[in-house]
Amino acid sequence: MNRVRVSNWVFAAYVLAVFSFVFAPILFSLVFSFNSQRFPTIPLGDFSTEWYAKIFADPDVWEAALNSLIVSASAAVLATFLGFCTAYSDYRYNFRFKGLYLALILLPPTIPLIIMALAMLAWLSKLGLSGQLWSIIIAHSVLTAPFAMAVIRLRLNQMDPDLESAAWNLGGSEWQTMRHVILPFCRPAIVSALCLAAAVSFDEFAVAWFVSGLNKTVPVIILEIVQGNIDPQVNAIGTFVFLVSITLIVLAQVFFISRRVKDPR
Amino acid sequence: MANPLASFTNVHKRFGDFVAVENMNLEIERGEFLAIMGSSGCGKTTTLRMLAGLDAPTSGDIHIGGVRMNDVKPHERDTPMVWQSLALFPFLSARENVEFGMKMRGVDAPTRRRRATEWLDRMEIGEFAERDISTLSGGQRQRVALARSLVMEPEMLLLDEPLSALDANLVIRMQAVLTQLQRELGITFVYVTHSQSEAFAMADRVVIMSQGRIDQIGTPKDIYRAPANRFVAEFVGRNNILSGVVDRHDAGAVQVRTASGVFSVPPVSADAGAELAFAVSADLVTLSVSEPDAPNRVRCTLLSEEFIGSVVTVFCESADGQEFKLQLQERELNQHDLKSGSHVWLSWRTEDAHVLDGS
Amino acid sequence: MTWRLPIILWQLLFFVGPLLFMVAISFYLVKNYRMTEAFEFVNWQKMLSRNYFWDSYWYTLFIASLSALFAMLIAFPAAYALAFRASESTRRFAIFLLIIPFFSSYLVRTFSWYVILAESGVVNAALGYLGLGPFKMLNTHFGTLVGYLTLTLPLAVILQTVSMANIDRTLVEAARNLGCTPFATVWRVVVPLASTGLIVAMLFCFILSFGDFVAPFYLGGSQEPTLPILILDTTKSGQQWPRAAVVAVMMMVTLFAVAFAAIAFAYRKRATR
Repeated sequence: MNRVRVSNWVFAAYVLAVFSFVFAPILFSLVFSFNSQRFPTIPLGDFSTEWYAKIFADPDVWEAALNSLIVSASAAVLATFLGFCTAYSDYRYNFRFKGLYLALILLPPTIPLIIMALAMLAWLSKLGLSGQLWSIIIAHSVLTAPFAMAVIRLRLNQMDPDLESAAWNLGGSEWQTMRHVILPFCRPAIVSALCLAAAVSFDEFAVAWFVSGLNKTVPVIILEIVQGNIDPQVNAIGTFVFLVSITLIVLAQVFFISRRVKDPR
Repeated sequence: MANPLASFTNVHKRFGDFVAVENMNLEIERGEFLAIMGSSGCGKTTTLRMLAGLDAPTSGDIHIGGVRMNDVKPHERDTPMVWQSLALFPFLSARENVEFGMKMRGVDAPTRRRRATEWLDRMEIGEFAERDISTLSGGQRQRVALARSLVMEPEMLLLDEPLSALDANLVIRMQAVLTQLQRELGITFVYVTHSQSEAFAMADRVVIMSQGRIDQIGTPKDIYRAPANRFVAEFVGRNNILSGVVDRHDAGAVQVRTASGVFSVPPVSADAGAELAFAVSADLVTLSVSEPDAPNRVRCTLLSEEFIGSVVTVFCESADGQEFKLQLQERELNQHDLKSGSHVWLSWRTEDAHVLDGS
Repeated sequence: MTWRLPIILWQLLFFVGPLLFMVAISFYLVKNYRMTEAFEFVNWQKMLSRNYFWDSYWYTLFIASLSALFAMLIAFPAAYALAFRASESTRRFAIFLLIIPFFSSYLVRTFSWYVILAESGVVNAALGYLGLGPFKMLNTHFGTLVGYLTLTLPLAVILQTVSMANIDRTLVEAARNLGCTPFATVWRVVVPLASTGLIVAMLFCFILSFGDFVAPFYLGGSQEPTLPILILDTTKSGQQWPRAAVVAVMMMVTLFAVAFAAIAFAYRKRATR
C-alpha cells in the first residue's frame, strides 16, 4: 500500500507540473504587466502600472476594444441562434443526410484558422462584404456556432423527451411550447453558449486580422504590436484579454453546471 | 354501447416495419375506468398516445365525442395525460405547472391562479404550491401531475403507467386516490399499465393486449375467471394451464387426457382427439394430504411456498414435471405439517376448469 | 425544415462557399496585382515544382506529428492520474480549469512564452542561478513545440481524461486480479479500451499544430516556414491569393487524408475487438 501512496504523490506532482506549464503564460503575463522592466525577467523590477496607463491612453486600443465588444457580442448572438436551431433540429427530427447536415455546422473548428481566414477574405471581398465589422461577425458566427450547438445539444439531452409532448398535450401549440418549455429549459445552456461563443470570438485573431481591414479588434492590435518588437504593453492588454475571456468561460461553465434555474418571471 | 365517448375503428399503427397496433376496435364509455394492460411493446402506450394525438393512426378512425380525431393536433384536443415520467416542467413551481395548460389556452392570470390553488388544495399539496418540482417527493409530484391534467376539467384523463416509479406502499395509496377521484369527477379514465394488481384494483373494464392486438376486453372478474385464451390465462398469472387431447364426451363433461392424468372440463364442442387447453385458477385448487374423492385430482410434490400477507402461494410439481400453483390462507396451510418435498394431493371442481380458445 | 433551412443556407454561404471559392481561386491568374478569373494550372505548377514548398510541406507534417506525439505522451500520465487516481470532483475541477486556457487567447499566451524563453528571460535567468545556460530556446524547433503544446496540451489532457474515465473500472480491476502488472494493465487494457478517444485526441492535436502559424512564426522564428506561414506570406505581402490558395488546398487535402485514416483506424480497432 505504501507503494500506492508514493505513486499517488508522483502522479500529483506530475499533474501539477502539467498544469504549471499550461497556466505559466497566463500567470507570467499578469505578473509582467505590473513590472516596470522593459524586458521582463527575474529578479522582477519595480511594481508599475505604467503599461496600463499607456494602453488606457491609446485611442487605438479603445477603438479596438469597442470593435471587439461589438463583434463578439453580435457573433455570439448569431452563433447561439445557429447553434440552437441545429441542436433542436438534431434533437427533434430524423431526416436524410442528417450526418451531412451536422457536419456542415460542426466542421468549421477543424479547419485551420489560417485557411478559413484566406477563404473568408477571398469570398467576402468577392461578395463586397470584406473590410467591415460585419465581415468579422459573419466569419465568427460560423467559427463559434459549433461550440454553441454542442452546449445546447448537451442540455437538450438532459430533457425528458415527454416534456415537449406534455406541453402539446396541455394545449400548447408548437410555438408556445418552444417559448414556454424548450427555451426556458435550455436557458442556462443558452447563456453558457453565448458566453463561450463570445469568448472564442473575442480571442480569435487570424480571421479577424485577414478580413477586418481597418476595423481592428483587440487581438489584431496585439498581433500588430507583437510583430514590431517586445513591448510590455502586450502584457497589459493580454491581461485584460485574459480577464475578459476567463470571466466568460467561467460564466459559461457555471451556467452549464447549474442545471436548474427558476422561471424567469 | 350506444354513445361511446371514444372509439377505435379498425385502427392500425405502424412504425416503419414494426406493427404497434393491429386492427383495433375499442369503445370507451363515458365515465368508466378503463385499464389497458399488457407487457412492454404490446401497443398499449401507442393506443394511449393515439388518443392524445401524439401518434396518428396509419389507417382506421379514432372518434372522440362523435368527432373524427385522426387529423386533430395534440394541442387542439382536450385529452390531458399523466405521464410515466410525470413530465413536470422542472423550471416551474408546482403551481406554475398546474397553471400551464390554462396559460396555453389564454385563461387570465387571476383565474389561473385561483383554479390552480383550488386543485392543489384538493390534492392536499396546497402548502407546496410555490416549491420547485425537484424539492417535492415522488407522491407529491404525482399529485402535481394529476392536478395539472385535471385542472382543465377534461371529459377523459389519460394515464400512462403513472405509478410505476413509486414504491409499493405509495402505489396502494395513490390507487385509492385515483379511484376516488374518478368516482367523484365522473370522468373517463384510460389507464395504461403492465401491472395486473393496479389494473384489477381500479378498473371497471380491462383491455388485455399483446403484440398490437386486443386479446380480451372485460371486467377484472371476467378476465380472471374466464380468460379468453392461453396468453391471457398466462398473463393473469394465477392460472394453472393444462393442455392435452379430448378423450371422450361424458354427460355434462368432457374428458381431457393430459400428461398429468385425465381431467374433466365443462362441455365444449370438440371432437375426440382434438387438442384442448384449460385453465384452473390457483385460488380454486384444493390441497389435501390424503387422496381426495374428487373427479380432478393429481398427486404432487411440494416445491416452495410464497407468503404475501395472509395468503400463501404454494408451488407443486406433478410426477410428469407439470408445475401447479395454488393459493390458500396461511392458517389452512398450517393445518398440515408440510415441507418442501412433501407429497400432497391437488383437486378442483370440474366447473372451475375454464377451457381456453384457440388452444 | 423551418429549423434547418436557415442554417443550411447560412453555412453554405459562409462556410462551404468560402472554401469552394478558395479552391476556385487556386486556378485564377494574377495580372498587374489584380486577381482575374481563369482556369489555369499555373499556380499549381509554380508552387508544386518549387523545392521550398515541399521542404515546408514535409517539415510541417513532421513538426505537427511530433507535436501531436509529445502532447499525447506528456498528457497521458496526467490524464491517467486524473481518470484513475483522482476523485470525481477533482477530475471535474481539473477539466473545468483546463477548459479556461483552451478558450483563452492563444496569441497572448504565445507572446508570454516569447518573453519567458528569451535569451535573458525567466527560464534562462533561473538556470543562470544554477550555473547553467543560457540556452537558446527561441527560434528553434523547441520554441515551436512549446508553442504548439500551449495550444494542444490542455485539449489532450481533457480528451484523454474523459476517454479513460469512461472505461469500466471492473475491467481494469479484473486485469490486475488476473495478475497483470500496473504497466501491463495500462498498455494492454487501458490504452486499447480508450483507443478511440486517444486517437481522436491525437488527431485534434495534429490538426491544431498543423494549421497554426503563431508558434512557428514567433517562437520558431519561421526559419523553416511551415505551410501556414507560407500562406500568410503569400497573402499578406505578395497579394498572391491564388498561390496561397494552392497551399491551403494542399493543407486541406492532407488534413482530410490524415483525419480519414485516423478515424478509420480508430473505429476499425473497435469493430474487431
